[in-house]
Amino acid sequence: MPLEFYVLLVMLTSFALAVFLGKFPIGVSLALSSIIGALVAGFGFPLRHLVEGTFAYLDPILIITSAMIFMEIIKETGALGEISRLIIIYLHNRPFWMLSLITLFIMFPGMITGLSTAAVLTTGAIVAPALMRLGIPRVQTGSIIAMAALFGMIAPPINVPVMIIGGGVDMPYIGFELPLLFASLPLAIITTTSIGYRYVKSVNIEKIKKDLPESQIDKHGFRLFLPILILIIFMLVTRLIPGKYTALGMPLIFAICCLSAFKSGKAFNYYKVTKRAIKNAMPVMGILVGIGIFIQIMTLTGVRGFLIVKTVQLPSFWLYVGIVVSLPIFGAISSYGASYVLGVPFLLALLGKSEIIVASGLTLIASLGDLMPPTALAGIFAAQVVGESNYFRILKNCLPYAAITALYGIGMILLANVLAKFLIL
Amino acid sequence: MNHHKSLAIFILLLSLILSYFSARSFLSMRENEKYYPSESNTKIKPLSDYFEGIKNTRGDTPVYLFENEQPGGTILILGGTHPDEPASNITTVCLMENLKISSGRVIIIPRANNSGFTHSDPQEGNPQRFYFKTKSGERWFRYGSRSTNPIDQWPDPEVYRHYPSGQKLSGAETRNLNRAYPGRPDGSLTEKITYAIMQLIKDEAVDLAIDIHEASPEYPVVNAIVTHPLAFDLTGEVVLYLQMEDFEFNLEQSPENFRGLSHREWGDHLQIPAILMETACAMHGRYHGSKNADKAITGLDRFYIEADKHELLSVPYPENGIPLKERVGRHLKTIQKILEIWNNYNPEKSIVVENIPDFFEMQEKGVGAFLVSGE
Ligand SMILES: [Zn+2]
Repeated sequence: MPLEFYVLLVMLTSFALAVFLGKFPIGVSLALSSIIGALVAGFGFPLRHLVEGTFAYLDPILIITSAMIFMEIIKETGALGEISRLIIIYLHNRPFWMLSLITLFIMFPGMITGLSTAAVLTTGAIVAPALMRLGIPRVQTGSIIAMAALFGMIAPPINVPVMIIGGGVDMPYIGFELPLLFASLPLAIITTTSIGYRYVKSVNIEKIKKDLPESQIDKHGFRLFLPILILIIFMLVTRLIPGKYTALGMPLIFAICCLSAFKSGKAFNYYKVTKRAIKNAMPVMGILVGIGIFIQIMTLTGVRGFLIVKTVQLPSFWLYVGIVVSLPIFGAISSYGASYVLGVPFLLALLGKSEIIVASGLTLIASLGDLMPPTALAGIFAAQVVGESNYFRILKNCLPYAAITALYGIGMILLANVLAKFLIL
Repeated sequence: MNHHKSLAIFILLLSLILSYFSARSFLSMRENEKYYPSESNTKIKPLSDYFEGIKNTRGDTPVYLFENEQPGGTILILGGTHPDEPASNITTVCLMENLKISSGRVIIIPRANNSGFTHSDPQEGNPQRFYFKTKSGERWFRYGSRSTNPIDQWPDPEVYRHYPSGQKLSGAETRNLNRAYPGRPDGSLTEKITYAIMQLIKDEAVDLAIDIHEASPEYPVVNAIVTHPLAFDLTGEVVLYLQMEDFEFNLEQSPENFRGLSHREWGDHLQIPAILMETACAMHGRYHGSKNADKAITGLDRFYIEADKHELLSVPYPENGIPLKERVGRHLKTIQKILEIWNNYNPEKSIVVENIPDFFEMQEKGVGAFLVSGE
C-alpha cells in the first residue's frame, strides 16, 4: 500500500479518537486530524493550507448563518405559526394534494438556489409546525423536510452540482430541465406521501383547531408575511432579471428580509434572536471549517488522488458500487465537493452514455451526501427545524428513501441512452 | 477569572497569532515576479490604456510590445489566462526574454488574469511559487488560481450567465477569464478585463491571437490546438507539419454553442484567426498525488502513471512524467510553426521572430537555461 493509504488511515483514526475519546466537537476533531495527517505525510505544520482550506466554505457559512437568523425571526413574529394554521384549515381534507403541494413548497427554495439548506431553513421551517399539528411525528416531519430539500436541490431550474460537473468537462448547462425533473419530482412525491400519508389521511380537524396558535394575521394584517414575501420576490428577481444590481447574494437577501420583519408581527428582540441563531448554527459552521481543512490536507498529501484513482479503476459492476458508496460519503463534506472531486472522474469513466442523463443521475446520488454524517447538513437542520435533538433518528428514518434514491440514480445512469431519447429534446 | 473565560481568551489570542502569520503568507501572493524582456521590447503599457475601467484595479496588467520598424503583421500572445497553469505564463516569459524581431509586432500579456495570480484555490493545496535554476542563481514564479481573486470580485452568483449569450454555467465560472469574453465595460472585473483585451485587439489591429493553456491529462481536450474556423486552414497545416516532426497534436474546432471562450469570441466578434493551445499538467486534474513546487517543474506523478495504465487519461503519460520543459517546449514549437505558416501565406503581414528557444535544446538544458539570470 502506498504512503497515502497510511496517511488516510492516520487521519481517520485520529479523527475518531478525537471525537469519541477526546470528546472534541466534530469541527475541531477534523482540524486536529488534518494537522496530524500533514505531519505524518511530511508537510510539517502547513498553516497556510490549514487556513486556506476553510475559505472554501465561507459563502455557505454566511448563507447558513443569515438563513438561521431569518428562520428564528419569522418564528418569533408568528408568521410561521400563521402559515401552518392556514395550511391546516384550507387543505386538511385533501391529504394527497396537501402533501404534494407541501413537498413542492419545501423544494422551491432548493430549486431556485441549488442549496438544500436554503429549503430546509425557509419553507421547511414554515411547514414543519403544520405537519406536526396534523399528526405527523417529529422525526417523520424532519425526514419529509430533509428529503424534499434534497430533491429541491436536484430539481430544475438550478442544479449547482450538475453545473460543477459540467465545468469540469466543458458541458454547458443546457437541456437539463426534463432529466432533472425526472430525477427529482417522482421521487419527491413518492417519498413524502409514503412517509406522511398514513398520518394525515383522516385527521380530527376540530381537535387540531383547538390547539392552533391564535391567528396573528387578524392582529397584524398582511404585514406579517412581508419578510417571506420579500424573500420570494428577491429570489425570483435575481434569477429572472440577472444583472449587477439584482445579484445581491443570499446572505444580503436574508439580512434585508430580517430587517423587514421589524414590527411585522409579535415583538421580538433582534439581539437575542440573532444570538440564539448563531449559537444554533455554530456546530455546523465548525464542521464546515473543519471539512475545508480536511480536504485541503487530503489534496495536499495526495490522499484525495489516491482515493479517486482507486475508485475509478474499479471494474464495471464495482464502479457502480463505488458511485453509490463514495459519492454520498464524500458528499458528507458537501454535495458540491463530491461533484467537484468525484463527479467529473465518474462522468469520464462512463463516457459513451448520454452525458446529460449520467450527470443528472450522479448529482441525484451526490445529493444524498447532505444526509451523511458528520455534516449531514439537510439532516441536522431538519432536526433543528422540528426541534428534534438527535438528528440520527431523522437520518435513520430517511435511510430506506435514500436507498431508493441511490438505486433510482444508478438506474438513470444504466439506462442513460434510453432515457436520453425521451428526456432530451 | 473563571476557567471558561480564560480558555476563551487563550483561543482568541491563538487565533490572532495564527491569523497574523497566515495573513502574511496570503499577502505574499501579491508580490509580483520580475521579468526581463529582450532588447526587442519597445514598450510596456498597462492594459488599462485600452480600457480605463480597469485602471487602479488588480485586473490591470502589463502588456509587452515587441516591434520592428520593418512593417508586418501583429500577433497577440496571452499567458496566465489561468494562473494555475504554469506552462502558460512560463511560455510567454521564455518568449519575452529571448525573442528578436525583424519584422512585424509581437504583443505579449504574460499575466492575463493578473488578479488570479494573487491567490490560490482553496482545497487544491497548490504551492504559492515554483523555482528555476538559471545560469547564476534561482528565479521564482507564481503559482496562482484558475480564477479572479474573490477579494476583487465577490460574491459569485449561484449561476453565471454569460454576457451576451445568456449561457448558464456554475457560479464560480463568473471569475473564469476564459468564460468571460467578449466582456463588457460595466460588467464584473473579469468581464472588464476581457473587454479590455478585446479593445486591445481592435486598437492594435491584431491579425492573429493565441491563448496558452494547460489542462489535466484526463481532460478530453488536451495536447490540443483548439481553433476558430477562421484559423482552421492555418492550424491544420501547423498540425500536419508538427506531426511530421513526431509531435502529436489533436486539432479541435472551437465549439459553436459554448460561449465565452477566447478563441471563439475573438474570432466571432473581431474576425481574427484565434487559437488556443493546451498541454497536460499533472497537478491539474483529480488523480494527482501530493503537491509541491517541484512537481510544477517535473510534472511527475505516480498516480497519473497508474491512471495511464488503466486507460483513464486522454494523453499518454510516460513513466518519467510530462515535465514543464516539455510542455513549454511544445508551446514554443507550436508558436514558431504558426508564425512560419502564417508568414508563408501573409507575406505582406509577416511577423519574423528569431531566437525562440528550441524544443530539443530546452529538453537538454531545462527551462532555466532560457531565462535571464536576474539579480
Ligand atoms: Zn486553462
